[in-house]
Amino acid sequence: MNRLAKKIVPHIILTVFSLIILMPLVWIVRVSLTDKLTAYKIPPEIGTLGLNNYVDIFERFPFVTWFANSFIIAIVSTAIALPLATAMAYSFARLNTGGALLRLGVLASQMLPPIILVLPLFGVFLFVGLTQSRVSLIVAHLSISLPFLSWMLVSFFEGDMARLEEAARVDGASRWQAFLLVAVPVAAPGILAAGLLGFILSWNEFLFVLVLSGPGTQTLPVGLASLETHAGVEIAPLAAATVVSLLPVFALLPFLRKHLIKGLSLGALK
Amino acid sequence: MASITLDKITKVYPNDVTAVNGVSLDIRDGEFMILLGPSGCGKSTTLRMIAGLEAISSGDMLIGGRRVNDVDPADRDIAIVFQNYALYPHMTVAKNLAFGLKLRHVPASEIETRINRVAALLGIEPLLGRKPSQLSGGQRQRVALGRALVREPQAFLLDEPLSNLDATLRSSMRTELIKLHHTLGTTIVHVTHDQVEAMTMGERICIMKDGDIVQVGEPMEVYRNPANTFVASFLATPPMNLLPGRIESVGAGALVVAMDGVALPVPTAFQAAYASHSGKPVIVGLRPEDFHLAAGDAARTAPIDLVTITTEVLGPEVILVANLASGAGPEIHARMPRDFRAKIGQPLTLHFDLAEIQLFDPETTRVLPRPAHP
Repeated sequence: MNRLAKKIVPHIILTVFSLIILMPLVWIVRVSLTDKLTAYKIPPEIGTLGLNNYVDIFERFPFVTWFANSFIIAIVSTAIALPLATAMAYSFARLNTGGALLRLGVLASQMLPPIILVLPLFGVFLFVGLTQSRVSLIVAHLSISLPFLSWMLVSFFEGDMARLEEAARVDGASRWQAFLLVAVPVAAPGILAAGLLGFILSWNEFLFVLVLSGPGTQTLPVGLASLETHAGVEIAPLAAATVVSLLPVFALLPFLRKHLIKGLSLGALK
Repeated sequence: MASITLDKITKVYPNDVTAVNGVSLDIRDGEFMILLGPSGCGKSTTLRMIAGLEAISSGDMLIGGRRVNDVDPADRDIAIVFQNYALYPHMTVAKNLAFGLKLRHVPASEIETRINRVAALLGIEPLLGRKPSQLSGGQRQRVALGRALVREPQAFLLDEPLSNLDATLRSSMRTELIKLHHTLGTTIVHVTHDQVEAMTMGERICIMKDGDIVQVGEPMEVYRNPANTFVASFLATPPMNLLPGRIESVGAGALVVAMDGVALPVPTAFQAAYASHSGKPVIVGLRPEDFHLAAGDAARTAPIDLVTITTEVLGPEVILVANLASGAGPEIHARMPRDFRAKIGQPLTLHFDLAEIQLFDPETTRVLPRPAHP
């Protein structure tokens, strides 16, 4: 009995927690398949299910543009941030570039509420004539992901990595070769995990896009928010759009599970 | 192959800590040299300066007669084996071995030949396709060694390579390294804090302490004639017994070393050497194996009365731990035959072989020079 309880109780707890986390998702999926009136019915009704809303978001709203913007900005900003963050992390860890002061300075930029940074950034883009462009959004997202990713990667270049690199240098490698042929491949799981996080950071970012984007450069989070109009919330298309915008993250999930856990659990050297 | 010369090498870290203090050492071409010392003595820093992984603050470093102070590690043509092996975890064993050769643009066919030869030499052929994470500690050790061997460098630098292995494996790797050195004849500099490794492997031992070289010499030379109390107490287990005493004149040039209730006559051959210290305090060094149960020739041994503290039965021998009968001074360790037994508190008399006595100056801790063998 006792052993049975030990087996069952955790499952009950986990099931409850899973339901709490999954409920909003299930709710959104249900709403996306019904219409606005049914969506707000209490107690909930299933009503007639259909894919109208999914057609709707593509026909009535520039959903494809939002999606493409999100994707381009997330991919490009991550592709730029990742090598830079890797090099930064390496120089912090192995060369102690700038000492503790620079490291903390980089982190401090993330301590500020983004709302404080967004208006000066807008001013800068206005000055150089980049407002409402995708470039401005990529740069803005870089300002978030670069400090974050470099801090995340520092630990991968510390500790035993120094020995590996020394071994490579005695073996005949230059500093660059030691970095590219040994340090980077060994830190690859971490770099990959950092890349995935960078992508998600950009994909979900709202505030900078809200202020800096224009009609043609809005991303999904801002686009979705625009469905909450003064004429009421377009809850059903909103739900459908949310479901579609979740798909890339779901697609990344298998990689995330594998590499994020491996990447974050260090000790990859032993 | 090459000789390695350190000429007044100093390493001062940015925080003003002096790790190595003007060290000079000639490592001969093809020699197996041991750098021995407790942790923090500067031996690893010295090795890293030879490798080029640590900048030299002052002094000259020569490998094969060429000054290498400003030469990149890659261009020094030396190989290093680290304590934690530092195998490239993302490469197979074969690729680990090939890495240095590829960087040096050795032709692929030559690389393959060399890898096969080294793999055969170390018995790691079946491991060539594996990743380091799939190897045991001993296998990683072999691969790390192989990675150094395959390069056929001017010299091998070994940074405590055996300290992560279990006792059995360590002892067999010791033998294997000695054999390898015999086969290859390449210069080896081996850093260790293990005095057994130092005694058994080295052609010469360089003992370091606090960034200085204390003594350099062949193992038995250092063992028999330690330069100071540090070397005396660092080599061998149990180490040399060091007891406070005093040299006293007993007339007609004859001297005795007096300790609490014990008087050891100084052999005639040493009298001239010790005469100037007559009447002064000394530290008396007695090796545990120079205590005997039976008295020898009266001129050659002297009785010492002891009280047993305990005995450590090791199997091949018994270590007697005792105090002088007067109860004063530090514990004395004596190496006894395997069937020796003594009860706690039991008084007994052992006979010390006077020709093996070493005396040290208590102020400088340096040995008082005397003829090596009477």
